Amino acid sequence: MSQIEIKRSTPVTLRLIVYAFAFLFSFPGLYLVWRNFTEESDPIGLISTQRVLAPLWRTVSLAFTVSMTTAVIGTALAWLTSRTDLFGNRLWRILLPIPLVFPTFIGAAAFIRTMNPGGLINRMLGGIGIDTIVEMRGFFGAWLVLTLFCYPYVYLPVAARLRQLPGSLEENARVLGQSSFQTFRRIVLPQIGSILAAGSLLVFLYTISDFGAVQLMRYDTLTRSIYTNRLINQSTALALSLLLLLLAAVIVLSERFFSKVTFTSEETLTGKPVRYTLGKWRIPGLATVLLVLLLSIGAPMLALGDWAADGISRTTRGGSPLTVDRGQVIESTWNTLSISVISGFVAVLAVLPIAFLVARYRSRTGSIAHAVVIATFAVPGLLIALSMRFWVLRTDWAFELLDNTKTLLVFSYIVRFGSLAMGVVLVAVAAVPKRLHDVGQTLGAKRPSRFFRIDIPLMAPGLAAAAGLVILSTMKELPITLLISPLGFSTLATRIFSSFEDAFVAEAGIMAVILVLLSFALTWFLVIRRADHL
Amino acid sequence: MRVQFNAMRLRILFLTLITILILASCGNGNPQTIDGRAAEIYPPGIEKCAGSNGSTVTIYSGRTENLINPVLEAFACETGTNVQVRWGASTDLALLINEEGEKTLADVFLSRSPGPVGYLESKDLLGEISSETLDLVESQNRSAAGRWVGFSGRKRVMVYNTDEYSPKDLPESVFDLTAEEFRNKVALPGTNGSFIDWFTVFMDVHGKDVATQWLDDMVTNGATYYPNNRSIVEAAGRGEISMGLVNHYYNYQIKASEGNAHKAENYDFDNKDIGSLLVITAATILQSSENIEASENLLQYLLTGPVQQYFTDRTFEYPLAAGIQPNAALPELTALEIGSVDFDKLGGGFEEASRIIEASGILNK
Repeated sequence: MSQIEIKRSTPVTLRLIVYAFAFLFSFPGLYLVWRNFTEESDPIGLISTQRVLAPLWRTVSLAFTVSMTTAVIGTALAWLTSRTDLFGNRLWRILLPIPLVFPTFIGAAAFIRTMNPGGLINRMLGGIGIDTIVEMRGFFGAWLVLTLFCYPYVYLPVAARLRQLPGSLEENARVLGQSSFQTFRRIVLPQIGSILAAGSLLVFLYTISDFGAVQLMRYDTLTRSIYTNRLINQSTALALSLLLLLLAAVIVLSERFFSKVTFTSEETLTGKPVRYTLGKWRIPGLATVLLVLLLSIGAPMLALGDWAADGISRTTRGGSPLTVDRGQVIESTWNTLSISVISGFVAVLAVLPIAFLVARYRSRTGSIAHAVVIATFAVPGLLIALSMRFWVLRTDWAFELLDNTKTLLVFSYIVRFGSLAMGVVLVAVAAVPKRLHDVGQTLGAKRPSRFFRIDIPLMAPGLAAAAGLVILSTMKELPITLLISPLGFSTLATRIFSSFEDAFVAEAGIMAVILVLLSFALTWFLVIRRADHL
Repeated sequence: MRVQFNAMRLRILFLTLITILILASCGNGNPQTIDGRAAEIYPPGIEKCAGSNGSTVTIYSGRTENLINPVLEAFACETGTNVQVRWGASTDLALLINEEGEKTLADVFLSRSPGPVGYLESKDLLGEISSETLDLVESQNRSAAGRWVGFSGRKRVMVYNTDEYSPKDLPESVFDLTAEEFRNKVALPGTNGSFIDWFTVFMDVHGKDVATQWLDDMVTNGATYYPNNRSIVEAAGRGEISMGLVNHYYNYQIKASEGNAHKAENYDFDNKDIGSLLVITAATILQSSENIEASENLLQYLLTGPVQQYFTDRTFEYPLAAGIQPNAALPELTALEIGSVDFDKLGGGFEEASRIIEASGILNK
């Protein structure tokens, strides 16, 4: 592998592009530093107070627990659905990424409505004499909801990688008498290790940035303190935000330090991925998938669907009319679809140069850019939105060009969610065997030609998974959409928010159901169709 | 073969994206005709809107689209003014306006509670509203300095689970909620804007010590924290909690959707009790606005008879102007409630109220 460093010099244009991107991605961080400076906040003094230490500890323990749980669940689901003869695999593969599309503020509320005492499940079970007593709140509630809504951050990239791994090593292991489990531990796990770590890191960072779920579950984390203080005590909120970003930076750097990133550039792509027969494990395997889907999609959809059905039946029997008309719903659906698809693909294009620099050229610039992109994921959306407005308003040409445009909105989404694409794209780039490039070069293919004829086809499943992650996340995004979008631009998420704020639960339910159906169609198109062809 | 196939697919994808980009860029002006709920407001029987008068007003609205958009549509239709809106949470929009400063697009900011208005006032970002507009409401529902004007009211009430309690078992005052019989029964939305507003007025009316003592006693008595009014009303409807202090109108919306499955009703404290305070929603004009006339017109429009009637009939709020009576379904409002509070004091007291609420420990209950 050291040969790569010696043989390849970094193309200057690539480096310049990466510098530019790293600078753009660092806007929120720079904003936080600057605002802390101008507001004369005192992050250092604040850090030792109980007011910070307790929420900080809760934040870290929640994020750690959620990322560990999602690592296990995400990997198990990825392996089951992409490498075994599990019944109904094609359907599970379309359904499993969907929890990503629930905005936590309504997803968690719907989950509570289904599961808590007096909720829908309780009423059903109460009819046959069973009492549920578990109340979703505090650490347990936050952990459960975040795990259920975040496991796709691990599942999607790991599944993409598993479907691509050459079978030869695993076949050899099996021939040498290793059991399925041993093969998984000794052969498969090391090969998916880096993408698994990248996915868990995203879960960790998402958890520390999340407000919706911890707020509804009444678990007092650092982000909740930021939101509570944001208007009444701005300097405290800004100092806490800076601490949050520092925490993220520490985590990102230590992850890079501890995880031995194994790039498999020399691997021989022989053999299709091995498919395992589950045998006696068929029932437990199926039960696992069903349980996860029931909790993560079923529970919130039960509440949301119930609200939606109430709303629809209310209008048909002549009750008070819905406050959202069909035209508005169609417009929001179209806006959601178009803006998220554009953001998904642009995000992949934006992180691709960084991934090339890191994976192909082992450049330090690339590593720094990579860390900046990833750590930014911990910054809550509200702060990304404010920082974007801040910089655009202070740069005349940017103001002329970008103010009140969709371009700025897409750009903000990419800063928020580029990290989701980063890890997956990085592994996709690293997985292209160097030998193929050598062969291509020998046959006289120029760099662009090799890019389109070797890199792109081989990376396609990874790139599609990366775009999918960004698309599903953008579809539900709220604070940035509200504050950055051009005037009059609404998405399903903003309409869900508007309706839900004033307890128009029927309207919120209808639009949440549309959001889920839309994501269903998109995952079918992106994740499944592409992956099956390749 | 496979490579060519993929290249073709990529090209199709690329073309689709371009098409989406082109299609996605479309604008919106003022409406040609009026329909839906906006037609309830303007003007009965007339379907054609006024032609454009060339003016534009840009609104940052913390009031939600479902409630207030019909009013804005009716305004655009009646006056021919082009109306643009950014919807969001009042607090976040106030932060955004502060970040944007002089360059903000906003002419008018509509807040669902006084707190964010107090914040913007403290940053000197609000302009002065003409006395012609201010005089449309009683003096207690407008700023003495002319920086904001109230346009509807929400009453603080207690929502309770109807399986567990009937109104006769409920107390006349919030002060009675610290009694043993209500141990572990009451929910408080500690971080919610209107709760903090309410507590600020509480401190102003009864003194800081009394208010702080009451909150501490509530915590000792096992009061539970919920993040907002809506989650309390839902939890009371499920029977997860017995009662909670909220704004009055959430219960109407949820009952409209869930019917009998929602087992909760509003309870109105004694009219002289702080627990039945009226909290107003406020309209402001930004200092930096260059569309003063259109903005003033909009504020006056919000206070006209048909709009005030719409607020009370459709959004179950209390009208503040034009002699409109509150909808019969709403808890009765007496003269004592309005007029007892100086909302200008809220701006400064808001921060202190939040500190006391945080110090009480309610947020971790």
